[in-house]
Amino acid sequence: MIDSSLRWVDDRLGIAKGGRTFLDKIFPDHWSFMLGEIALYSFVVLLGTGVFLSLYYIPSAHEIVYHGGYLPLQGQKVSEAYASSVGLSFDVKSGLLMRQAHHWSADIFLGSIAVHMARVFFTGAFRKPREFNWIVGVTMLLLGIVNGFLGYSLPDDLVSGTGIRIAYSILESIPLAGSYLGTFLFGGNYPGNGIIIPRFYLLHILIVPALIVGLLAAHLGLLVKQKHTQFKGRGKTEHNVVGSPMFPTFMAKTTGFLFVTTAVTFILAGFAQINPIWQFGQYEPFQISYAVQPDWYMGWLDGALRIMPSWEFVGWGHTIPLEVLLPAVIFPGIIFNVFFAWPFIEARHTNDLAYHNLLDRPRDRPKRTGAGAMMLMLMFMVFGASSTDVLANFFQVPLNSVLWFFRIAVPLIPVITYFVTVKICEEMRGAEGIGKRKPPNVVHRSASGEFSTVPAEARPGDGHEELEAVPVPAFIDMVPADLATGPGIRRVMR
Amino acid sequence: MIRGRYAIPAALLATVGIFGLMAFSPSAAQADSTTPTTVASAAGGYAYPTPTSTTPTTSPTSSAPSGYGTADITLPDSFIAPGQALFDASCASCHGADAAGTSRAPNLQGLGAGTVDFWVSTGRMPLAISSIQATVKPPRFDRLQTLQIAAFVQSKAPGTGMPIPIVNLSAANLEVGGSLFTLNCAACHTITGAGDALAGGAFAPSLHLATPTQIIEAIRSGPGDMPRFSEGNLTPTEAHDIAAYVHGVIQHPEDRGGFGLGGIGPVGEGFVGLLVGVGLLMLVCFWIGERT
Repeated sequence: MIDSSLRWVDDRLGIAKGGRTFLDKIFPDHWSFMLGEIALYSFVVLLGTGVFLSLYYIPSAHEIVYHGGYLPLQGQKVSEAYASSVGLSFDVKSGLLMRQAHHWSADIFLGSIAVHMARVFFTGAFRKPREFNWIVGVTMLLLGIVNGFLGYSLPDDLVSGTGIRIAYSILESIPLAGSYLGTFLFGGNYPGNGIIIPRFYLLHILIVPALIVGLLAAHLGLLVKQKHTQFKGRGKTEHNVVGSPMFPTFMAKTTGFLFVTTAVTFILAGFAQINPIWQFGQYEPFQISYAVQPDWYMGWLDGALRIMPSWEFVGWGHTIPLEVLLPAVIFPGIIFNVFFAWPFIEARHTNDLAYHNLLDRPRDRPKRTGAGAMMLMLMFMVFGASSTDVLANFFQVPLNSVLWFFRIAVPLIPVITYFVTVKICEEMRGAEGIGKRKPPNVVHRSASGEFSTVPAEARPGDGHEELEAVPVPAFIDMVPADLATGPGIRRVMR
Repeated sequence: MIRGRYAIPAALLATVGIFGLMAFSPSAAQADSTTPTTVASAAGGYAYPTPTSTTPTTSPTSSAPSGYGTADITLPDSFIAPGQALFDASCASCHGADAAGTSRAPNLQGLGAGTVDFWVSTGRMPLAISSIQATVKPPRFDRLQTLQIAAFVQSKAPGTGMPIPIVNLSAANLEVGGSLFTLNCAACHTITGAGDALAGGAFAPSLHLATPTQIIEAIRSGPGDMPRFSEGNLTPTEAHDIAAYVHGVIQHPEDRGGFGLGGIGPVGEGFVGLLVGVGLLMLVCFWIGERT
């Protein structure tokens, strides 16, 4: 029955060939190859919870009188966006759980992208022929950050409204075009005509997610087309892939991982409060709270803004606010251009134009590893600078001292990190037998009290018998039984 | 189960996570504050509103009874003599025997009993250590002694300065208090009242343990770097509305949605999201993936 229906479909669409490729796709088993899947499945959670939220959220700045479950707000004039967001937290069944799951999922989504990107970077997986996929990935990171900011702004609470105000000022700081861009986006001078909420909503739930979905398809399509990279190891060459096939091994594993990702997100959503907007109140442009930070993935931009000295250029009837332009436009511009261009920068530097399917160990490329560590440290330090006030209050030190610490540390510590990392890599490469399993020693004590050490005899399991690389047919059902290399493991030629 | 190979990362993550949670829990953030019982017992003479559920929440359209918040405590003359003894023992070495100030401490004459009550009942005075800003401590004096000291200082310049207000929040309007708080207080004390650092080593203290009397005294006297709000800025009724909001909403927030993570916003949330969320999922990767 199933067979004949599938045959019917295949006769018309010819999907069997593509389906075969898909089901036989080989996934290397190393754990670090699953980091990107956290992002993929967080995105699934984001879409699911986002659909739920969109059923109740009203994207409108129109003022209404609040009559909901949160008593201190009773009878106050608030925007429909804020009222419906508070309503999601108080009046809609499981609305708060969904809101918090959506927000936690966004934090995890961008965090896992960062971790995945670090894995790809430090192992050199972005090299030829995978530069395209690296660029697609960096673009998705950029879009993810943008969409996170847009979503954070939608509840129209005091804290997120402050973020929109900052975004407007950043737009305005761009020379010549700035004020036009701001007017264009906000429909007038800040705060506009309340038009920004529906515009952000449109971008947040349709345009940016659609772009991400498209890029995601390209990301995974390229992954199947170009096949996975793999770590060096016996039996693994530039011309084969060793791992588990999509069906049945990897499919079971990855489906389980989808459930685990969802579970962790909802455990956080159930037990840890995030963004309690009802405590913040409605955003009014003339009000402000202290201790306002953006979500963590925007924190590095906020940190750069905070530690920038207040420089300004005034001349020929124009003011260029360098204290905003440099940290909030130029700095992230440079960072993302370095991200985009890195595969080509590195290829130019190393004159390496060969195909690479085998990955590097980070220690084998000290300069690249150093550069990556430097970038991570720079991000971490600027991120820390976004909480100057929280740090000063927590450690009870003057705010100005914290500010000056970051002004010095942000440029300095990443450079130190580079040299320390390069040195560590070089030391690790030079050391004898590093990374190999060391034979255990047995310590004997003689009757007279003398100690002596002798290497222990090898026990079963101490010696690893690696499998020899054997070329096998590309399709699973053609694999001879004697080539089964372990439970569920296959190797195929590229 | 957790085997040796990844016991270390697991233990590290768990440790960092637990310390992170501890660091951002409200108790740690207020470790240097007085215990609630001390402050609560030190301040009497007004009715506590219970948290939001039973506090009368009138909409702005229904007119609140006007005139609340205008009464003050009258201190009897019999308080002056014992107050002078306490002042001589604990305050006079810096403020001078007749509270006129010395090179080490300001003149207290004319500040009024309310100002003295604020500084002494929050434990800020007597100072533990000379620093940029006095910190909250368990108060040295009980309620009666505090009032006696206030009566003595008041007697040096009768009829001037701020008296100690009689606080009754039962008629106060939470909604008005909320918007006044956002407008006037949140810019330093933060919208959740957690407090934060200010420039030059000063800080806006947490409001979570302040009593309504102390809140109104602080509004009127402007301690430290805080601006002083006169009755022209905030009427007695409005000051009481703010005190009611701080007491009813800020100190007893509707904290649904799980652990509050200290009410300091995305910094704590980012830590939890990355360490617990991404960290846990990476451990799962480590668990189900190959590790050689």
